Amino acid sequence: MSIRPLFAAMTLVALAGCASDPAPNEQMRLTEQALEQASAVGATAADMPEMKLAEDKFNRAKGNMSDESFKNARMRAEQAELDARLAEAKVLTQKSEEQLTLLDTRIARLRKQLGDAQ
Amino acid sequence: MSLRTKALGGLILAGCASLYGCAGQRSEAALQQAGAEFQTVKEDSNVLRIAPKDVIRAGESLARADRLSSYWGSGSDVVHYAYLSQRYSEIAREHTKQALNDERAAKLELERQRLQLALRESKLQSVQQQGKWLEEQILALTTAQTDRGLVMTLGDMLFDTGEAELKTSANRVVLKIVQFLQLNPRRVVRIEGYTDSTGGRQENLKLSRSRAQSVADVLMDLGIADSRIQVEGYGDDYPVDVNATERGRAQNRRVEIVFSDEKGQLGAAR
Repeated sequence: MSIRPLFAAMTLVALAGCASDPAPNEQMRLTEQALEQASAVGATAADMPEMKLAEDKFNRAKGNMSDESFKNARMRAEQAELDARLAEAKVLTQKSEEQLTLLDTRIARLRKQLGDAQ
Repeated sequence: MSLRTKALGGLILAGCASLYGCAGQRSEAALQQAGAEFQTVKEDSNVLRIAPKDVIRAGESLARADRLSSYWGSGSDVVHYAYLSQRYSEIAREHTKQALNDERAAKLELERQRLQLALRESKLQSVQQQGKWLEEQILALTTAQTDRGLVMTLGDMLFDTGEAELKTSANRVVLKIVQFLQLNPRRVVRIEGYTDSTGGRQENLKLSRSRAQSVADVLMDLGIADSRIQVEGYGDDYPVDVNATERGRAQNRRVEIVFSDEKGQLGAAR
């Protein structure tokens, strides 16, 4: 007897394994939350490539969910979650940089006035 | 086993291998990139201090990708976990940048407040110095008379002969008086007019009073409340010099401004 049927069986099992991924409802929820949080701090797909990626992947994940392609849904949702979190973090960094610039100009102005006063 | 099935099996195997080859290259590249990224954040002490959780997750995802890469046909999983690992590293770095910025902003904010305080202080000081300087000037222009308080004399040359209006040459001294009164809001003044003995008594009383009043008017125009200003005309009474000489008469024609003490206590009128 050859072992070829065994291979075939294993492949089938592996495929079945893929197909029997549970629906990633929790991950979908997490991703949605991450997206909401990112847009709450002002991340938009228009000026944040990571946000665009996140939204696209989440939409595809939703499509995978309705196709019951749960493994793809989970992977896309996981990536989308991190894309959104990165977008959020970048927006916050940008804001902190703007804050620094503002403080720098204010301090420069104060120093100038103090120099003038003396 | 027939030749046909053998050939088919071989084809399938070859297909698998070529697929694996492509996927393998792709996953190898992703794995390397994520590994390099992880290495840089792992060695950054600021990232480790500020975003340790993200670094740990980056490491876990990377380990997972690495483990999967030794399995057959797991190329897309490797790429997936490498991607997650890389994202965690990037997030860790962003969080670190932001936190460092916030730390610096907090320091700058303190610096800003310190400078603001210093500026306020220096402005205040300059006003005080100015006030002090002004006070010295006023004191220099006045003659302290113990019974009447501080008295400043505006001489005859500040008025045209027989006229009550102040000449523009009096502007400087008038402005000084106004500033002095603004800096000393509780002080009040009595403005007293005097003439020489030339001319009739009534006429002199009237002229002395209107000269004093014109000084008072200017002070009021410049913002001193009229409640702080008293006006008196004494005519040719209380001469400070003889009326027999021209020089003496010029001395007697004058307006005196009597300042109260700092509490607003003014000496009694004559």
